[in-house]
Amino acid sequence: MCRISALISVCLGLLCSLSLTAQKSEDPVRPIYSAYMVEAGSSHVAETYLSPLHYDGWTVGLSHRRAQAMRFDPENWLMELGGRVHVDRTLARPARNVVEWRLALELDWAMMHKWLLTKGLTLYAGGFTRADAGVFYLSRNGNNPAAAKASWTIGPRAGLGYAIRIGKLPLAFRYFVDMPLTGIFFSPAYGELYYEIYLGNRSGLVRGAWPGNFFRIDNTITADMRFNSTILRVGYASRVFSSKASDIVTRVVSHSFIFGVAQEWQAVNGSHSTTEARRIISAY
Amino acid sequence: MKKLISFALLAIMGACHGIPSWDNDIEGNFNALWTILDQHYCFFDYKGLDWDAIGKEYRAQIKPDMEASEFFDVCSSMLDRLEDGHVNLSSPFAVSYYRKWWSDYPQNFDWRLIQEHYLEFDYTTGGGLSYKVLPQNVGYVRYDSFASSMGASFLDAMFLNLKECPGLIIDVRNNGGGDVTRVEQLVSRFLEDPIAAGAICHKTGPGHNDFSEPYTFYYEPEKNHVRWLRKVVVLTNRSTFSAANQFVAIMKSLPRVTIVGDRTGGGDGMPFSSSLPCGWSVRFSASPVYDPSGKLTEWGVEPSEGCRVDMDPDEALRGKDTILDFAVSLLAEK
Repeated sequence: MCRISALISVCLGLLCSLSLTAQKSEDPVRPIYSAYMVEAGSSHVAETYLSPLHYDGWTVGLSHRRAQAMRFDPENWLMELGGRVHVDRTLARPARNVVEWRLALELDWAMMHKWLLTKGLTLYAGGFTRADAGVFYLSRNGNNPAAAKASWTIGPRAGLGYAIRIGKLPLAFRYFVDMPLTGIFFSPAYGELYYEIYLGNRSGLVRGAWPGNFFRIDNTITADMRFNSTILRVGYASRVFSSKASDIVTRVVSHSFIFGVAQEWQAVNGSHSTTEARRIISAY
Repeated sequence: MKKLISFALLAIMGACHGIPSWDNDIEGNFNALWTILDQHYCFFDYKGLDWDAIGKEYRAQIKPDMEASEFFDVCSSMLDRLEDGHVNLSSPFAVSYYRKWWSDYPQNFDWRLIQEHYLEFDYTTGGGLSYKVLPQNVGYVRYDSFASSMGASFLDAMFLNLKECPGLIIDVRNNGGGDVTRVEQLVSRFLEDPIAAGAICHKTGPGHNDFSEPYTFYYEPEKNHVRWLRKVVVLTNRSTFSAANQFVAIMKSLPRVTIVGDRTGGGDGMPFSSSLPCGWSVRFSASPVYDPSGKLTEWGVEPSEGCRVDMDPDEALRGKDTILDFAVSLLAEK
């Protein structure tokens, strides 16, 4: 009886071991598609807390985006993580005698499903969440020189990807659009000074966001050209933002060209042999 | 589906939040100036001003082809009607000032006279503060601007150097204000317990009476530093303005503090700035600040009862500051 039990145990152990090995060999490689970009272009800004005038100028920014197929269903789902910091320098219109600066930092995370529509053409759709913080600065306003901005929003993101090969050069075009639908954002009241907030009156500073009072739509189109392991990216981004709270209107419209480099890489994991034959599933 | 379409339409409309705009001509700039004040200035009702009528009166004086300097003069005259030292119109060639809050009254201060005849040009200075022990064993501290910094260590050293004096004079005559956070820094040196130092409110919309509920703010004693808990006399004149006016209003509410001199110049509204299409900027009072008793001090803080004193010009010629002498007589040991 003991011998039978021992035999069954050994067989079960072997089966489990074989099953784990099979699962491991099927566990695909999910390389990270990582891009570093410089953005530069034009910016139109209005922030009525500081001034009722419109300002025009330039914007420059640095951004990083990384994408990876998701572990639970790598064939069909991907996630994106992005960060961007940018500066806008704008002049009052029409006098052009005063400079308004804007500094902003944003982080977002998105999860999207992908559908291969035809050969080379992929549709993406999902959702994202974004946190951003920034400040407008108008130096000549002695007592109200700055307007702080902060928000956390969620909304849908969708896109289209098209991959072709021109001669020996693989090309991937991607277009993404996103728009926050809800969230929260910071705004002082109509004539509320930051001094009053400093004194401790923090009521009503956090507002609920919906497209009627916090509208933003980002459109980005990029073309990735793969040269061996390095990918060159060029593109264009259009961002439209408008918010209104307590009769304070903030508007930012920017058009930027994007230049960047990207790479697709896989972190070496101790549990896998680097020589192991495994499927590779790219994010896009 | 209808709801979805309505939602989508509202979302698109959200991208078009309106921002007022004016033409960059004489009329457009006048309308911009008038509207900015109309929607943001905080003392229309307190001062009994009919801004519509004032606008009509000065709109009649503008002409499409007038020179920028002429237009500036019309706008400055209109702003003078607000009788507010916090209101300025800034252009590349001039800045408007309303001066009557001090120009129609005796100056009641001569720093040279004090330095020569009371301090004998021998006193300690640091930041915006100057001090000395007067011959009557009364401490004298001059603070000329709340825009000037006060180091905590300097304040500690100053109070320690004056520790043999039974009373202290703080002279804020001609102190035109500055950084209001320094009011708290200085007042906290005279507190035994936390106090309700005042209240502030703000405009909640463009209507003349769209105000938030006043928010009471508190000052704490500066327990980690040297404090002065003996008698204090604060000297004031009509040029004691803005943050200095607020300092006097709060000090007046403390026990052991007497206000001596003339009524302060006021300047009770926290200022705000905005811009005109032509590039000029305008500053104005936007948030009223209430004193500890809940009153506005836009027209100034009165001296303590029986302590309204002017400088006697004849005595001044003999090197006497009659306001300072009055304060010394209140504090000097009998």
